[in-house]
Amino acid sequence: MKVLLVDDEQKFALMLAKRLELRGIQTAVFFSGETALKTVEQGNRFDVAILDVKMPGIGGIDLKRRLGQLDERMKFVFLTGHGSTIDSSAGAQEAENYLPKPLQIDVLIETLNRLTEG
Amino acid sequence: MNNAKELFDYDSLAFFGRVNASISHELKNVMAIISETAGLLGDLSEMARGGTAVDPDMLTSSTDSIIEEIQRGFSTIRQMNRFAHSVDSPVVSVNLMEILDLVRNLSEYLSFTGKTNLLAGEGAAPMALTCPFILQAIIYQALVQTSQNAGPGAELDISVQSKNESTWRIIFYGFNLKEFEVFPDDRIKRMAASIGASIHWDRSSDRLEIDVPVSLESLPSGTDSP
Repeated sequence: MKVLLVDDEQKFALMLAKRLELRGIQTAVFFSGETALKTVEQGNRFDVAILDVKMPGIGGIDLKRRLGQLDERMKFVFLTGHGSTIDSSAGAQEAENYLPKPLQIDVLIETLNRLTEG
Repeated sequence: MNNAKELFDYDSLAFFGRVNASISHELKNVMAIISETAGLLGDLSEMARGGTAVDPDMLTSSTDSIIEEIQRGFSTIRQMNRFAHSVDSPVVSVNLMEILDLVRNLSEYLSFTGKTNLLAGEGAAPMALTCPFILQAIIYQALVQTSQNAGPGAELDISVQSKNESTWRIIFYGFNLKEFEVFPDDRIKRMAASIGASIHWDRSSDRLEIDVPVSLESLPSGTDSP
């Protein structure tokens, strides 16, 4: 499984990426929506994108829309520090794969497996 | 502004809520990093238990990361405490540089804010008898507006100068027309009026100036104070 992880909290993203890698999940980390978008525009493909909702510049909801236009097969998981309904109301259809921080790694893995199996 | 009490109830409460939301978001990020790092240490422990060699440097960097994040958390809580106590007394004698320092720190919890530099002035500390909470709300909004327009990479300089014996002037350098289209809004104008502050800008030098009375008590009678 190839995962695109985008979060402006750099330490968080790097730690999470290490944990995913230890579980055999190939993870590319980006700290902004702009750089993540660029890599997909250049033809790199991922099975799932894990996106922080609140980021400077392109936020997670907008990034999902733009990545989806580039690769229709890509699945999405959203992360948020708010842990409330505030962000999910901004993209109600995505709320199903909406995980609050701090994350439970088992829940994330389960979500990734469900998305890629489906 | 004819009803300062109402202003304190609504507009100020909105500011209080917004700042607290940003602080809680910051603390959640801190906890998220600690959680992931502790989780990684757990993963490494499992690997070691299963006979896989674990890189000691990874253990060291993980524990260092946890310590750093705990310090970041403590620092955030200190700012939260300063902010919480700013409503202890509606009107109090304050050092304007300390107010600016607090607001700068609070604004940095918003993901889109850039760097704010406080330029120390010469002479005695700029003390003013004012409502620190309302002044914070005005300055915070100015910083937020600037950051939203300028983007996260932008830098903003702020200084405090003596305009005359009865007025301090807080100057924001690098404010541009875009910001002045939306700042100050009516809410901020009401807040400024309630503490006798005036907001204006110098189009030629892109400066925002907020004039703050040295003492609220010296304002002409009829001026509202909270």
